[in-house]
Amino acid sequence: MATETKEKRKGAEEQVQVKWYGYIALLVGILFFSGLFQKAPGALKALDFNNVMGSFGTLGELTKGSGTLAENFRGVGGSGPKDGWLYALTLLPSVMFALGMVKIIEHLDGMKAAQKLLSPLLKPLMGLPGSAGLTLITSIQSTDAAAAMTKELSDNGYITEKEKAIFCAFQFSGASVITNFFASGAALFPFIGDLAIWKPLVLIIVLKFVGANAMRFWVNKMDKKEEA
Amino acid sequence: MEAKTEKKGNIIDAFVGGARNGFKIGTNSMVPNIIFGFAVISILNLTGLMEIIGKVFTPIMGIFGLPGVAATAWMAIFVSMGGAAGVIAGLFTAGQMTSAQVAIMLPALLLSGAQVQFMGRMLGTAELDTKYYPHMFTIATVNGIIAMLIMNYFIV
Repeated sequence: MATETKEKRKGAEEQVQVKWYGYIALLVGILFFSGLFQKAPGALKALDFNNVMGSFGTLGELTKGSGTLAENFRGVGGSGPKDGWLYALTLLPSVMFALGMVKIIEHLDGMKAAQKLLSPLLKPLMGLPGSAGLTLITSIQSTDAAAAMTKELSDNGYITEKEKAIFCAFQFSGASVITNFFASGAALFPFIGDLAIWKPLVLIIVLKFVGANAMRFWVNKMDKKEEA
Repeated sequence: MEAKTEKKGNIIDAFVGGARNGFKIGTNSMVPNIIFGFAVISILNLTGLMEIIGKVFTPIMGIFGLPGVAATAWMAIFVSMGGAAGVIAGLFTAGQMTSAQVAIMLPALLLSGAQVQFMGRMLGTAELDTKYYPHMFTIATVNGIIAMLIMNYFIV
């Protein structure tokens, strides 16, 4: 029994195959966490875990009757992932609140209203049939769900292969625009100064239609070519 | 990111469900992406690479009213929206981008964002004919470029 296990172990050891860069990665990793480069000159400083980690911001000082405090717990003058962590935490309330509000709008049939308003416009706007309305409304919230619905539309013959290309162009650029705007984009909201938040959002939505129409123009042109 | 219509509860359930989803996206995606972005900026600054990137890309990025260092964010955009947002936030925090410049990149972040991911998740799932893939990448990239030009010259 014992020798059997031993042999098995030996076999497993022999099976391990390491790419050449594995050793380099290990070496760099050991150096990175070793602290040897903490006070290294020039670019080598970046080879130290603590140097890359940066620092938390400072909250400021209060002395008797004077001094100022930072605006929030993130503090000021921080750097690196430490600063990024506190910054990311400051964003969570706005992301949660924004997506909660979107759900309320959906709950109160706001999305259905949008679908009803948009469906008759799909033909003139993008050359798509009204049956694509639900998928379009879904696509502004969830790329994944909309992609699956797009496949169903085409499998069931509601849209042609060319219409699918147009629709995909619309969905692909600025995918799940509302969700991503309030999740990824929200990381930038505190930094855009006085700019009203609806301006970039409207620009994104307009350009989504522009992109779809570029595709529409292309497939229609190719269509004619194929016929000729 | 589920959009499947679940059983309709009351309005409070709807809000809480959405907020919970926001928390999930925030903790699973946004926070790690921001840590990534800030770490990249930290490394680029420590190595001095940031200065070089800044100099090399100043002429190109200048067309969009952006500093050369914004090229790092532009490259990240194609792989990950959240990662790129983290990089931009890191650049702003490090004093290397102004708020107007952040605003210029915001729409491009969405329009050109995460094409590498969405190729599978979106185009693959929809079973779009692969002959149209180049068109999709072109449209998404050009959309981002147009957005930066419009933001730069007309909006900020």
